[in-house]
Amino acid sequence: MNMATVSEENSMNTANERDPYNNNSYGTLVDDGYKKVSLPVLDVTDFNERIIRAYEAGTAEKGLPADLSVSRSLIPAGTATLRDFSYVAPEIPEFITDNCTGCMDCVTLCPDTAILGKVVGEEAFEQRLAKIENEADRELFRRQWAEPNKYYQGPKKKTGEGGKFSIIIDPSKCKGCAECVTVCDDDALRMIPKTDELMTDLQKVHRIFKEFGPSDERYISDRLLIDMMLKEKTHIYVGGAGSCAGCGEGTALRMMCSATGAKYDNDWGIIAATGCNTVYTSTYPYNPYLVPWSNSLFENAPAYAMGLRMRWDQRGWGEKPIWCIGGDGAMFDIGFQSLSRMLASGLNVKVLVLDTQVYSNTGGQASTSTFMGQNTKMSVHGKKYGGKMERRKEIAQIAMMHPRTYVAQTTCAHVNHFYRCMIEALEFDGPALVCCFTTCQPEHGVADNMATDQAQLAADTRAFPLLVYDPRKGDTIRERLSLQGNPAVNEDWWTNPKTGEVVDFIDFCRSEGRFSKHFDRDGNPSELLLLATQDRLENWKQLQELAGILDKKKPAAKAPKPAAVKPAKSAGNGKSAGLPGGFAVGSKIKYDGGSGWVQGVLQSVDPIVLALADDSRIEISQDILREAIAMGIVSLD
Amino acid sequence: MAREPLATFDCHLDKLDEVFEFLKRTRNELRTLRMVRVWTDRLQVFDINGDFFEVRGIGYPDDAIKTVLDAVHTAFKPESIHNAFRGPYKEFKTGKRRPWAEDRVM
Repeated sequence: MNMATVSEENSMNTANERDPYNNNSYGTLVDDGYKKVSLPVLDVTDFNERIIRAYEAGTAEKGLPADLSVSRSLIPAGTATLRDFSYVAPEIPEFITDNCTGCMDCVTLCPDTAILGKVVGEEAFEQRLAKIENEADRELFRRQWAEPNKYYQGPKKKTGEGGKFSIIIDPSKCKGCAECVTVCDDDALRMIPKTDELMTDLQKVHRIFKEFGPSDERYISDRLLIDMMLKEKTHIYVGGAGSCAGCGEGTALRMMCSATGAKYDNDWGIIAATGCNTVYTSTYPYNPYLVPWSNSLFENAPAYAMGLRMRWDQRGWGEKPIWCIGGDGAMFDIGFQSLSRMLASGLNVKVLVLDTQVYSNTGGQASTSTFMGQNTKMSVHGKKYGGKMERRKEIAQIAMMHPRTYVAQTTCAHVNHFYRCMIEALEFDGPALVCCFTTCQPEHGVADNMATDQAQLAADTRAFPLLVYDPRKGDTIRERLSLQGNPAVNEDWWTNPKTGEVVDFIDFCRSEGRFSKHFDRDGNPSELLLLATQDRLENWKQLQELAGILDKKKPAAKAPKPAAVKPAKSAGNGKSAGLPGGFAVGSKIKYDGGSGWVQGVLQSVDPIVLALADDSRIEISQDILREAIAMGIVSLD
Repeated sequence: MAREPLATFDCHLDKLDEVFEFLKRTRNELRTLRMVRVWTDRLQVFDINGDFFEVRGIGYPDDAIKTVLDAVHTAFKPESIHNAFRGPYKEFKTGKRRPWAEDRVM
């Protein structure tokens, strides 16, 4: 069967009037043709030339007959690369080469595979550059290359040859979300308005970039996980998906594909549960995946994956990974039974949960993953109910209690953590579940460029703690569970060193529109949001206890509440019986409510009253005092 | 990141409306807002490119700062915004937006 290639005449994969520089073509970093595969059910060339062409021309709905190719809804791999999004945004990023450090954050965190990175040794660079005949184009392209320490100065000192590094914007895939600009700490990217001249230059540069050859692997360290996307084989998710601008899910899918592609190339498969992810990655006739992908129903993806796993094993394909992906609606709610069944089976299926805490695809309904207090379409904030009244269900803890299951919670903002979880899950010989916090910009009420910032904040505020539960690490839960990656692992809350202030769940809520109705005109949070904060703290303390961070003799759920300051009732009678050693009326103490130590004195023991140097008083029970001492919040001065 | 503000405004605390008018009038010169920096005596509103406006004469010790911060969707703690701070400025993000169809009841 003939497949479209870049050289094939009249192919959708070649330059045409609408795509004069052939930016919408197969291959992400370097040009590629269609693989010569034999599909008895679909003529791939016919699909590209007739069906995609009809959709591009706007004649598909009325013009295409309901023949077998169309009616079965099969889509060949990677057809979304033929899709053009250059018309959706008024602005596009500009690369400022002098400022680039080659950190790869922009390449990694782009939801749309619209920023591509390449590193080439300077000798090969000059040779390849010399092949560009048009001098103006050659100089235009040369200006896109940087010499960051990471690839250029460092290797040059060691080996005598530095690597030239470039990031290129694919103008046909960029949706203008500005996530790349936001994650760049070096001012190496800025948004600029699209003009005809600029777009032509970007199209030219992108075309040359794809013909320029692959990265030089001498400059790519396998130990630096963030360099992964410099390799063509990691670009399993080619962009062109119909996700919203800045979609956090898109980045999670890309990074999952990269981590898997780095080890297995395209020799693996995906079973997707119905949800936003299936809508934007299978908007007929566009498919951004280069691996086999299938979708059945909302509720049965893990069961479907089990069947596929058994069939693949039967065929001797036991080494090929299967990822089962779905949102929180599919995995926490509607497909939960199926998920539990799959985890209990011990089958080698990996699950990626795209946890947006809301049914994103259907317009933002509450799921069991939704945070308490969140305003959703099925838990609308009103006079009687302040949004969702129930507590959030924790899929990670539930999954951990299944027999021999690898479990992780991560976010794309924690790039190394994310990649490490993916790699460990793939290496684990059995079921694995990785739950990833992802933004849903329209439902969370955050700007298009905020996916990484909000994911980072979710971990920083204990809204969504990072964790890894690896049964290979030992026999006990505390040996298996790691909370590494969270800030201030031993504390209740993290204190931001920039501000000196405690960062808690309320701060997360302040930053997102979905919680905005919980704040009064003076910015005070509602009682429900305080309860939600306590819920997040209790969840965090449960994880601390499971990981062996808390003294297990202490009651986990009765954590000291965040510095509730009340006026003291009385000075008490001076008894000190039952108090921790050294504590008595008049003892000099110090207290840290999250913004540094404040000195004070134990003024009374019945009730316990701490009189602090900042003129505040804290009244607590003896149990809470003991807990606070154990947590290092209160100590003798 | 830009070193000089694109526009400045000298604020009189009893005429906050003029601050809002300034921010509204000049808003289209900035792109998506990213953060604010509040000093003791001035406020800077940054966009994603690092371009910024500066409002002089108002800082985090002032009561009125809360209203101005709210106007640019700043996520800040009202209970501690006026507290002294050892750094030169306090920095807050401005990424909050209205959720899609937030008042729609199913």
